[in-house]
Amino acid sequence: MANLNIDSIKTRTFDAIVIGSGASGGWAAKEFTEKGLKTLVLERGRDVVHVKDYPTTNLYPYELEHRNEITYADKQANPIANRCYAYREDTRHFFVKDEEHPYIQEKDFDWIRGYQVGGKSLLWARQTQRWSAYDFEGPARDGFAVDWPIRYQDIDPWYSYVERFVGIAGNKDGLYTLPDGDFLPGYPLNAVEDYFRQSVHKNFKGRHVISARCAHLSEPQPIHIQQGRVKCQHRVLCQRGCPFGGYFSSNASTIPWAQKTGNLTLRPHSVVHSILYDQESGKAKGVKVVDDESLEEMEFFADVIFVNASALNTNLILLNSKSDRFPEGLGNDNGLMGKYIAFHNYTARISAEYDGLLEYRTDGRNPAGGGYIPNFRNVDRQETDFLRGWAATFGAGRSPIRDTNGVGEELKKELLHDSEWSNWRVHSHMMGETIPKEENRVWLDTGKTDKWGVPLLHIDVDYAEDDWKRRKDYYEQMTNMFEAAGFTNIRTRDDGRRPGNDIHEMGGVRMGHDPKTSLLNKWNQLHLCKNVYVTDGACMTSTATQNPTLTYMALTARAVDHAVKSLKNGDL
Amino acid sequence: MKVEVINRRTALRRLLYIAGGTLLLPACYRQSGKETIALTHLVIDEEQENLLAELVETIIPASDTPGGKELLLHLFVLKMVDDCHNPEDQEAFITGLSSFASLAREQEGQDFIKMDANKRIAFLESLKEIENEEVKRFYGITKRRTIQGFTNSKYVMTDLKKYELVPGRYNGYFKMT
Repeated sequence: MANLNIDSIKTRTFDAIVIGSGASGGWAAKEFTEKGLKTLVLERGRDVVHVKDYPTTNLYPYELEHRNEITYADKQANPIANRCYAYREDTRHFFVKDEEHPYIQEKDFDWIRGYQVGGKSLLWARQTQRWSAYDFEGPARDGFAVDWPIRYQDIDPWYSYVERFVGIAGNKDGLYTLPDGDFLPGYPLNAVEDYFRQSVHKNFKGRHVISARCAHLSEPQPIHIQQGRVKCQHRVLCQRGCPFGGYFSSNASTIPWAQKTGNLTLRPHSVVHSILYDQESGKAKGVKVVDDESLEEMEFFADVIFVNASALNTNLILLNSKSDRFPEGLGNDNGLMGKYIAFHNYTARISAEYDGLLEYRTDGRNPAGGGYIPNFRNVDRQETDFLRGWAATFGAGRSPIRDTNGVGEELKKELLHDSEWSNWRVHSHMMGETIPKEENRVWLDTGKTDKWGVPLLHIDVDYAEDDWKRRKDYYEQMTNMFEAAGFTNIRTRDDGRRPGNDIHEMGGVRMGHDPKTSLLNKWNQLHLCKNVYVTDGACMTSTATQNPTLTYMALTARAVDHAVKSLKNGDL
Repeated sequence: MKVEVINRRTALRRLLYIAGGTLLLPACYRQSGKETIALTHLVIDEEQENLLAELVETIIPASDTPGGKELLLHLFVLKMVDDCHNPEDQEAFITGLSSFASLAREQEGQDFIKMDANKRIAFLESLKEIENEEVKRFYGITKRRTIQGFTNSKYVMTDLKKYELVPGRYNGYFKMT
């Protein structure tokens, strides 16, 4: 019996444990296994094997029962998931349904989740921009949150490292507000996007419109072919899972790569309850898992643990990792864990029309989606009545004009013609930085637990006055730029979206220099429990305006490098 | 005998409607024995289904290419209303369908399905002016769903306006001719 237990502990002991298999967890798995560490990846959802488990990927529109609409019953049952732009008949199987995983909203908050191998990397919008020096210096310069313990030059080589493997389509634009990366060819702007680029360049100093940078293989390199991925086919059906591996997901890229090393153990259906702390060694010794299906409790052990459960779930797991030493959650002596949650303000849109360049239209589909306007606000100095800035998308298109007033032969002809096209319709939406605030926070319920015995999460996050000033500025500046380009019928619109719906929730376990005011050090280690690393959205000290996933992946690769070196030196 | 059968059918339908189950009318209960579609919320008799088929055929008529009836757009309309519309829409659709039938008789002195193509079109044109909200709502839903079903049908997407899954193209400066 004693021997059996020892054997059982042996089979449940690894060099490294990674909690979560999304974009950052997948990267941790790839890096650890490539460096020769026996690695256990725990994923709370089911397995999703690249291509094999993409049931809708090759369906034509007419093969979808409701032509990609969501049924009324589904909308009633899942109001949160249904508010996500990507939740459709062809993708719904990759989203968490509201009732399956409840949480407590102190204020309206849409928590969009994908519980499966690959996590939300199957579903993401694939927009990938580097942070700039200006972004990392933000909190120190403007006096909010705490100073980032790293600067751009610390992460620059890791951005390159990640970009080369992921495959990022983009142009070398030479902007210090949005540093260039190791790019594959960018996707060109269309006629009116390009016209707007020129107009902004001419009329507004320091403002730029560039091709959106995205994680698509515009021209695959040998490293991508080795992953089994090929050129993006412009299907733009990405969230179904791509049979070509045309965009980056853990499923198409890092997870199979890690599997090929022979060092990966992937365990789906593994709900992590907490991290186990060993008082004697002053380190974490493993994790407690509840099997999703059998509800059986079990423990796994490792020398180092990476928490990549997605920002708010990482907060939840750490807060729930209570011990005599850490009664308020692992490494949470200062009581700041779960606080300073921030996100992106996506509430503003603007649209207009353009009657020029009517000799052109777009033919086909652009995987990048169009243009991107990097933040130009408050960059060199504070110039507005709100802190920090905003970035924006920019797109233009035309569509066939169809008069559907009639019936019969006349209507049939209208529905099929390809001869009469609208003028150009242009549109943009804002991606605003938000300032992390102590009162934007999450915490565990003291009574209610889910089916797996894990406490429910309270989420108390809201917009602030600053966000509305920022939005006003977006409306004004975009209107100015639209007018200068000769666009007409300019309309601004508040799309009323709730915090969380941007799917860029960040913070709660922030990085910083000082254990008194932050949870993680400059290597993403818990200040007070060094063999636990957090490299998903939870680690973010501030939000900047960029889509954050590329930064999580770069931080992860950097942190694994540090962890492996530290293990070898005996520092962990 | 016939009356009895109809009553049994009606009773069966009501039972299924109340139970909230799937209404699948086996061919043996239908006078024509034609295939139909399983519905959860809507209760439609064969006569109404035939009327809907003639209506979608009038909206999208057969020409050198198939029309609404052949593409089964009436069943598509029913499917979408049954699964994707809220209960108010569903009720308005059913009530409106009956009102549509009686309005045709009142206004034109003839059942809609007995009218010739021109008369049908004229009747549909006249609906733009009417005040009857139920009929308006029913016709609005039917027309919208018919158009959606047509443009997203396999026939149109493979034979008339080819939907290209792969390889996709992208040209941002496509020159119009």
